[in-house]
Amino acid sequence: MKPVRTAPKGRLPLHAVAGGVYAIWLREVKRAIRDRGQLIGGISRPLLWVIVLGIGLNPYFRGEIYGQVRYVIPYTYLQFIFPAVIVLNIMYTSVQSAVSLIWDREFGFLREVLVSPMPRPFVLLGKVLGGATVAMAHGCLVLVLARFADVTIAPSSIAYGLFLMFLLAFGLTSLGIIIANRVRSFEGFGIFANAVILPLYFLSSSIFPLDPALSRAQTLIVYPEWLVLLIEFNPITYAVDALRGNFIGFHQFAPQMGITVLVAMAAGFFLLAYLEFRKK
Amino acid sequence: MACGRSLDRERDAMTPAISLQGVSKQYGETQALADISLDITPGKMFALLGPNGAGKTTLLHIICTILEADSGTIRIFGVDAAKEPARARRNLGVVFQQNSLDRRLTVMENLEFHGMVHGVPRGTRRQRIGELLEAVNLAGRKNDLVETLSAGLARRLEIARALVHDAGILVMDEPTVGLDPESRQAIWHYIESLRREFGLTIVTTTHYVDEVENCDTVCILDKGRIIALDSPKRLRARHGAEYIRIVPNDEAVADAIRAAYPDLVSTLPDGLLLRIPDAAFTQAFLAEYGNAVSELAFDRQSLESVFLALTGRHLGRPSATAGGGRR
Repeated sequence: MKPVRTAPKGRLPLHAVAGGVYAIWLREVKRAIRDRGQLIGGISRPLLWVIVLGIGLNPYFRGEIYGQVRYVIPYTYLQFIFPAVIVLNIMYTSVQSAVSLIWDREFGFLREVLVSPMPRPFVLLGKVLGGATVAMAHGCLVLVLARFADVTIAPSSIAYGLFLMFLLAFGLTSLGIIIANRVRSFEGFGIFANAVILPLYFLSSSIFPLDPALSRAQTLIVYPEWLVLLIEFNPITYAVDALRGNFIGFHQFAPQMGITVLVAMAAGFFLLAYLEFRKK
Repeated sequence: MACGRSLDRERDAMTPAISLQGVSKQYGETQALADISLDITPGKMFALLGPNGAGKTTLLHIICTILEADSGTIRIFGVDAAKEPARARRNLGVVFQQNSLDRRLTVMENLEFHGMVHGVPRGTRRQRIGELLEAVNLAGRKNDLVETLSAGLARRLEIARALVHDAGILVMDEPTVGLDPESRQAIWHYIESLRREFGLTIVTTTHYVDEVENCDTVCILDKGRIIALDSPKRLRARHGAEYIRIVPNDEAVADAIRAAYPDLVSTLPDGLLLRIPDAAFTQAFLAEYGNAVSELAFDRQSLESVFLALTGRHLGRPSATAGGGRR
């Protein structure tokens, strides 16, 4: 018989905390890879949006009406929505990844993590990083379709593009955690997540442009004021704009606005998610 | 050297593995725990016994710092669990009532995950996981997904997992609940061998009375209070009475027995229990009803009878006043 253990241990060293974050991240990624349904959704969604919707609406984007060529923007519709579909895919996967938090709570795994000596913020960080990585990977699935959308991605724009995608995924995964903390059931989460994702997406100037050739006063004549206000107020608008700027070189807003909003969103939502998470 | 070692031993004897002082917890109107104070000696097997809703799980959750007490202090090997929860948790290996394995990961991945979030360095982790898999006889299944394991095997894995990080205290909430008698026995066999191998302190809750008979100390909880705290042997000697359990042939016999011994009879879900007041009673009872019962067994001073003597109620039967409250 070995001697009875009686000695208390010290605090968990920092490199061990990093190892723990890695373990939580790795678990999220492994689970995502083994979940076929998630992968199929991640592939079919961009296919639908780019190939069906994009190709279908392409001729109507720039056309002649009564013999007069209406200028919208100097891009095809496919090129125009391509960056927005990346955002859509990231949105779905990020917010859905928070479902794993409901699973963990429901099936007890969360407790296994909560009785570990990992400090709470790092538990959350591992989870959000894991979800964000998976979401970013789903964003990259869209990039594969670039040539079908006539988008030529310059190698120099890839690194910055991935960085923007990661920031967006990080912020949205945190948002998913906030939602998951408030919604207790799987069914409720699915419905609620859709109710958040779709309005954010449609109101982000993702599928129609606010015509940059028009002044603000003219825009307000073309579109109802409430729509313009909602789009300008929606942070996803600037995420879409940042990706558009990076991948097709088209900005509707000031170029610095996108990265600023993305950083603020990632930091803000993570902080809110932590405040929620700590209550548990 | 000899002097140093005896000093060590003296200090070890003074620091309890777990020390609770005046711990209370309230859920709304319900007093889940009322002023619980107790010390758990290192290296011993400590059991919390009580009916559903007695506060066993609440107390265990407070010990493993996932629930905050309203008042009182908890020390794990002298570390204040409220002030340094993360540090206190390093000494605890916890097995929850509800399975907390990741069913989509393999046996090995679950153990690896646990080792990593507990900061066990890779070399030590690999070695200890190997030892533990051998100890609970799961080495052959290490690459299988957890969802393919039976309930008994999953339990064994959870117990092994709780020890990957070199925990000195193994805390288990109903480790054998929902298992068949054979698996229950196997689980206790593994717990006992792990305790000897790793020098563990074991804290467990259960409502199977037979499982606590081998513990060093039993704490009987009822309605959030400690009603007894001692070794099973001494508790039985002090409070236990002898009982006869019978299953009457029909309701008429049961009614007759109830009418004849109103003070001694209590009704069980599957029969009657009679307290034996003196030696003459057994003879007289058997002469009268010996042929009218289909089953008869003597209950010799079990802890169940201790609980009955202390509260006037049975352990297994959920009572209307103390029900619920468990998660």
